[in-house]
Amino acid sequence: MRRLIALAALLILPHVALAQEVRLGYLALENDPRYDEDFAYARIPLRPQGDTLTGVELAIEDMKILTDARGLTVSLETARTEPEVLTATAERMIANGARYILLDLPAPDVAGLAEALAGQEVTLLNTTAPEDGLRTACYGNLLHTAASDRMISDAIIQHLVRQKWDEVLVLHGKTDRDAARAASFEQAAARMRVEIAESRAFDLSTNPALREENNIMLLTGGIRDYDVIFIADEYGEYSRYVEYQTALPRPVVGATGLVALEWHWALERYGAPQVNSRFEAMAQDGRRMSWQDWSTWVAARAVLTAYAKAREPGPEGVEAFLRSDKLRLDGSKGVPMSFRSWNGQLRMPILLSTHNAIIDIAPIDGFLHQTNTLDGLGMDEAEFECD
Amino acid sequence: MRTTLIAATLAAALAFSPAEAKDTGLIFVSNEKSHEVWVLDSDFEVVKKIPTSRRPRDMKMNAAQTLLYVACGDDDVIDVIDIETLEIVDQVPTGPSPEVFAFSPDESKMYVSNEEDSMLEVIDMADRIVIHDVPTGAEPEGVIQTPDGSTVYVTSEVSDMVHVVDAEAGVVTDNIIVGTRPRRFVLTPDTNELWVSAELSSEIYVIDRDTNEIKDVLEFLPPGFRPEDVTPVGMALTADGSLGLISLGRANHIAIIDAHTKEVQDYVLVGSRAWSVALTRDESVAVVANGLSDDITLVDMETRRPIRSIPVGRVPHTVVIDD
Repeated sequence: MRRLIALAALLILPHVALAQEVRLGYLALENDPRYDEDFAYARIPLRPQGDTLTGVELAIEDMKILTDARGLTVSLETARTEPEVLTATAERMIANGARYILLDLPAPDVAGLAEALAGQEVTLLNTTAPEDGLRTACYGNLLHTAASDRMISDAIIQHLVRQKWDEVLVLHGKTDRDAARAASFEQAAARMRVEIAESRAFDLSTNPALREENNIMLLTGGIRDYDVIFIADEYGEYSRYVEYQTALPRPVVGATGLVALEWHWALERYGAPQVNSRFEAMAQDGRRMSWQDWSTWVAARAVLTAYAKAREPGPEGVEAFLRSDKLRLDGSKGVPMSFRSWNGQLRMPILLSTHNAIIDIAPIDGFLHQTNTLDGLGMDEAEFECD
Repeated sequence: MRTTLIAATLAAALAFSPAEAKDTGLIFVSNEKSHEVWVLDSDFEVVKKIPTSRRPRDMKMNAAQTLLYVACGDDDVIDVIDIETLEIVDQVPTGPSPEVFAFSPDESKMYVSNEEDSMLEVIDMADRIVIHDVPTGAEPEGVIQTPDGSTVYVTSEVSDMVHVVDAEAGVVTDNIIVGTRPRRFVLTPDTNELWVSAELSSEIYVIDRDTNEIKDVLEFLPPGFRPEDVTPVGMALTADGSLGLISLGRANHIAIIDAHTKEVQDYVLVGSRAWSVALTRDESVAVVANGLSDDITLVDMETRRPIRSIPVGRVPHTVVIDD
């Protein structure tokens, strides 16, 4: 009997750390304007209407066998609140033991929280805000699993350079988001010597006085030539009419046509189909996994991977492993991923997809880098400066 | 000139391979996206393309070398090909999305990883029914059984784990945490080791089968590549256990290592995303399936040079040689 117990202990001891509670927080807005259905005219689902919490739940489920084997008990505290009480809610989560909080929040709320919680024992993960300004703000307590605007722009630029489509007509909406997206595209174009033939604002109205801005033939004409049209359009309402109505027969990229994303259901490799089918089975509406679902899933996966694999025990060990190159995070995109030390951004491949096919995956073959080809997407360490 | 000479020597060597009754010398390549098994003869000429159920991936022969089993992931079935007639003669139904499988030593049972519903399925080969399901971590892939039939090992790609399954009891008795995205196994014939490839941490884990402890972690770096390009998947060992062949995926090479000292002897350039490797029985040639260039590369084991690449169907997955 004693021998049996000794044997059992031998089997289990080497692989099980001390029992430990891992508490994750998930924080979103009650009414996130970015997911407002009213923006989608005629009930066309231009933007994901789903609930990114499913991604967190899937990650916990995916990792359960590993976390169980490590003696980790994972629990999740979820809150959907009004913007005014975000900080108080996050503080409650921290008081309840959350060391990591996943944020599905617009950029200003992410920035507000990162500032308010500075100095507290917590790391925030921004899962859905792509704004470059959140990266250059260099919050020490903030990691990003959403790709930055600049990473998305660099991915598109790599494709244009590879195709030798090196003169671009840029179109953008009049919102701050569209202006920011267009600006990041122009920075990415400058780095790769892609020429911007002209940059024009579009208008959603049918006002004849603004026909230069709302008539697609006029908006895309009256210019000598260009190879391709890039359009920045967060709402997606204007861009969906642009293809096949342009003055010159040119492809459209950016917000329609060829779109750069963290994730798309059409990815057939690297175990992506299995992630998609697990997600679809878990989502109450059975929807396909959007990029926001993926970036939330991968954020939870990153934290749980760090808990399960950290070489040094304790919260400092987990945090150091999470931020180190050793993380080697698998996001089912074929390469190991980790967070950039200079701005907390997850380095990752970006998919270039049409509505139903992955045309290419950036970094595209031939775009080299001195240390990691993934760092050709987004502002690189040498050119990066905190605000 | 040199290539011709090598090819001629090689052809001669193959022609003189021992003439056992059923040894056809045929090379079988499963093609995931064109739903075919291509058959090449010992001169590497294509003799037949056998249409299979959808998405054929892992393949295994029975011990008598009369039948070839092909796991077809999108039709939830294992097709059975008669090696003499090269026709599909039978089918074994499985759970959703069979990927990799192994037979028990007496071939009475088949162990299949079902990557869609995270199960290791045990199929009774006589009755063709599932007699047991062992729950695994998400996306189980590699499956192997020890020659004594006592233990089955299965990887979970998402949980970064090797599950150790007691074959008799049908339960997981231990979990070994390894590197990122563990894929395939080999068992060494002489050192009681289990090797597992970890695709995304670019490592081979060497596990002691008595203690389930990790003895060694092997890393590879062919010239001109970076660690993250190295995505090892398929492995093969020589019969005497002296050499190991490791396909390095996106690094487009195979590594040939001393299986005892674990030292890398050579890196051989093959095709794009090399991920399955098999040796001819006389161990003169390694056949490597290249997932992204839709071809197989023949590697001369004497000179350690690629001889040539041969186009096959879309997305070749596994190579099995009947010699």
